[in-house]
Amino acid sequence: MQKSIIFRGLMACSALVAASESVLAADWGDHAGVTVEAKLIGGQQYEGLYGRIAEWEAATGASVSIISKKSHFEIDKEIKSDMAAGTTDWCVGSNHSSFAPQYEGLYVDLNDLVPSDVVAGFVAGNIGASTVGGELLMLPRAQFDVSVLYYLKSNYEDAEKAAAFKSEYGYDLAVPDTWEQVKDQAIFFADPPNFYGTQYAGKDEAIVGRFYEMVVAEGGNYLDENNKPIFNSDAGQRALQWFVDLYTAKAVPAGTTSYVWDDLGQGFASGTVALNLDWPGWAGFFNDPESSKAAGNVGVAVQPMGSVTRTGWSGHHGFSVTSDCANKEAAASLVMFLTSEESQLAESAGGSLPTRSAVWEANVAAAKSGDDAFRAEALAAFAEGAEYAFAVPPIPEWGETTNIVFPELQAAIVGDKTVKEALDDAAEAVDELMRESGYY
Amino acid sequence: MDRNQAHRNRRRLLKTAHFIGLFLTMLVICVPGLWIVLNSFRPTVEIMAKPPVWVPSFTLDHYRAMFAGAGEGGVPVFSYFRNSLIVSVTSTFIAILIGMSGGYAFARYRFWGKNSYFVGLMLFRAVPGVALSLPLFIVFAKVGIIDTHFGLILAYVAMNVPFTIWLTDGFFRQIPKELHEAAEIDGCTRWQAFWKVEFPVARSGVASAGIFAFLTSWNEFALASQLTRSVGSKTMPVGLLDFTAEFTINWGGMCALAVLMIVPALILTFIVQKHLIAGLTFGGVKG
Amino acid sequence: MTRRRLPEWLVLLLPAIIVIAAVVLIPLLFSLYSSFTPYKLTRPSTLWKWVGTYNYEKILSDAKFWAAFGRTVLFLTIVLNLELLLGLGIALMMNKVTWGQRTLRTILMFPMMFSPILVGFQFKFIFNDNIGLVNNVLQSMGFNAALPWLVDGKLAMFSIMFAEIWMSTSVFAILILAGLFAMPRDPLEAAKVDGCTPWQSFRHITLPFLMPFIYIAMTIRSLDVARAYDIVQIMTGGGPARRTELLWTLMSRTGYVDARMGLANAMGYVSIILSILFTVYFFRKLSAARAELGMAG
Repeated sequence: MQKSIIFRGLMACSALVAASESVLAADWGDHAGVTVEAKLIGGQQYEGLYGRIAEWEAATGASVSIISKKSHFEIDKEIKSDMAAGTTDWCVGSNHSSFAPQYEGLYVDLNDLVPSDVVAGFVAGNIGASTVGGELLMLPRAQFDVSVLYYLKSNYEDAEKAAAFKSEYGYDLAVPDTWEQVKDQAIFFADPPNFYGTQYAGKDEAIVGRFYEMVVAEGGNYLDENNKPIFNSDAGQRALQWFVDLYTAKAVPAGTTSYVWDDLGQGFASGTVALNLDWPGWAGFFNDPESSKAAGNVGVAVQPMGSVTRTGWSGHHGFSVTSDCANKEAAASLVMFLTSEESQLAESAGGSLPTRSAVWEANVAAAKSGDDAFRAEALAAFAEGAEYAFAVPPIPEWGETTNIVFPELQAAIVGDKTVKEALDDAAEAVDELMRESGYY
Repeated sequence: MDRNQAHRNRRRLLKTAHFIGLFLTMLVICVPGLWIVLNSFRPTVEIMAKPPVWVPSFTLDHYRAMFAGAGEGGVPVFSYFRNSLIVSVTSTFIAILIGMSGGYAFARYRFWGKNSYFVGLMLFRAVPGVALSLPLFIVFAKVGIIDTHFGLILAYVAMNVPFTIWLTDGFFRQIPKELHEAAEIDGCTRWQAFWKVEFPVARSGVASAGIFAFLTSWNEFALASQLTRSVGSKTMPVGLLDFTAEFTINWGGMCALAVLMIVPALILTFIVQKHLIAGLTFGGVKG
Repeated sequence: MTRRRLPEWLVLLLPAIIVIAAVVLIPLLFSLYSSFTPYKLTRPSTLWKWVGTYNYEKILSDAKFWAAFGRTVLFLTIVLNLELLLGLGIALMMNKVTWGQRTLRTILMFPMMFSPILVGFQFKFIFNDNIGLVNNVLQSMGFNAALPWLVDGKLAMFSIMFAEIWMSTSVFAILILAGLFAMPRDPLEAAKVDGCTPWQSFRHITLPFLMPFIYIAMTIRSLDVARAYDIVQIMTGGGPARRTELLWTLMSRTGYVDARMGLANAMGYVSIILSILFTVYFFRKLSAARAELGMAG
């Protein structure tokens, strides 16, 4: 939302880097007279990059016609409708790692169009998450998402609270490093309805993603290698129990099962939530006195661990080229331009996370030498958090499974079903879906 | 004396109850809309504040941002407004012409199976937009009229024709046949007789059908979101979603666009409200 | 009337028939066909595979579908009846107003101007349990609780019904008010002379006269009940835990997010039949009421 405005202050330091890199401007080829039709994701934090398209047009002699610009889920719906109607002769489309596997046959394998040394410049994990069945379906843009822990610093500066916590739970009150500690502290800090310990996304893909990473952190998995659901394992039950316990202890807002990202972000910004696992785009928002009551009181730490590893559900945006595109070279050139080092530097200056190794390094170095301690703290946390990042299962049915699973998770959270019942019911329905889809 | 007093008390009580009831009703009707208007003028921190801020401050930031360029929070408001206006006005106009001719046919001619035709036409209006949106998209895509004003206008004409037929049919029926027969004897053609004699009498019905058609087109979302794509054809209800992103909703901005959406509808309705009531009652009841 | 060579009525009706056939009938036939296939949006070739009534069997044996179906019928029944009662009440109150009635009438029409999608966003905002207007007011008045309006099963249903009723009660109020204006005064005065109580004269004189107006409103409303989809989709999306899942939200999720259009179209047909039943029912009531008043054409 207002991220780009909010981050304006932070841009200054990175802008220097961007300027020094611009001498590296690559050769984008000559595509004079070509018109590339593009379908792009709209929304404020994505728009800045599109302003750069004019540069590519000037360099290549081609022109870009943006034939559609819509929000995340609307563009997904539109692309599916296009596939149904066969109107897929436009060239460049915005894509997302969670959506990419659904568009079977729509996009070309970029390995054939993009030189391998260009591909090598991206973070290997992001390229992995952009690859489905051996085909590189998109080039990642500087919109990488993994969640870290935001917290209110004041809670850890109060000796009285620390003593009370220690006597109740038997260990020192410090910024939590495990999800067990998060639960203890959330229950300890909570004072509903004025103050909550933590919160979580409660519906749609969002809660399934959160549950999925928790299952992984507990040592389990969502699907096995044959895509058979195994999230009703012990690890899965432990993972869901965590959500249930927080809800029954009233440590999370009662409305949490209706929350998605905007509600969560606004909730933490209102200064009434102690611990909040959230996305990179909010960092500036949370620490800006214009938008957040928690400003100045926000700490950022790497995401906590389950009993086995850290959580790290991640995703990223990217750009793809359609198979029906008339001039794939021009389209690929545009995609490379939009994901180039320069573009990523410019876009990540707005606060989003890059997907190129060199840009990560440049950003971290710039933040360290800059005078914004919060920016440096946040970037360090995200850099560490990114190491644990993993994507969702690369199958077209991922979205459909989340629609089956989330109502069951909600049923367990609000107490309509026990944890085991809910997970078994969900697993049974997902199992049927996988069978119907012909996986086993 | 006593009885008089009691009677007066009771009347006063009834009057007060009536006033309070009316006041509460108006409150419930007005507050949600006013809340939108109010929030379009408040800074985001204040909208989202907790505990709430009850004394509003005033800012034009959301409007300023909305009219600003891309990348600074701007949305192409003028294009959306223009698209909405073109599509709504044109489709209303065509729907009225087609619907009037249909209504006239039902009112003035006798033919076999008339009632079934009539109810059949109505039923097409009852098809939910969500059920229609994808098949319609595929058909339109084959013809090549996706993302054009024409496609959306065509869809809205089809949506609005049945209701227009219903209302105008009722009006034409009340006009005595002798009227246009007399006109024809005076040397008018049937066509002239219609415009000079029957149309003026049915004006209220046409006006109310028109406003209904206009509001339906102006506010429709399910079909528009499927049939429009680029800035060149997106209408305002679809544009509202520009304020939602993957993780966020910009309430203040959305409220500002909502205000721009409501104001023209409000003005129009205010102008024709007299016709609206007359049209609905006569057209529907006496039809 | 003189005999005509051409069926003029057909010529006059033809434009309407052509437009409706092009925009509604053809797509409907297409979706009827696709409801007999395993049609997946992302795999267009699946359109050519005939699976007979598989989709229908699947949804008819699906408890989730029936739950959504039942909830939709319940939703419509409650909403339409409440709208009628509230509309009647508002119209009776308005009829007694002697001063400023024109202004009040305009205000009454206010919600009719709102796009359903806007109504959805508006009430999602107002009923937000953290920063919403309703909870803010409650808390300022001293209730120390954040009611989960859009989450709790009963409250969520209440919230979406409230939004729907807010948007559509005006139609009833305005039509019934128009009926009250058109009502002849004599029978009421005669009843007064005869010593009828206000309730008796309302029950036996006013209400029968208003019936056709009520049925028109019902018919108008039943034509676009599915507008509630926009509202529910935005406010709750059918959640949490399917507590507000209506046919329309289930259908759009199946069709677009899961991309199973064949299955969704089968659901679509069930919802179309539901809409048609509501419409036909009220049309018949309307004709009967007209006939009773001797207004039939």
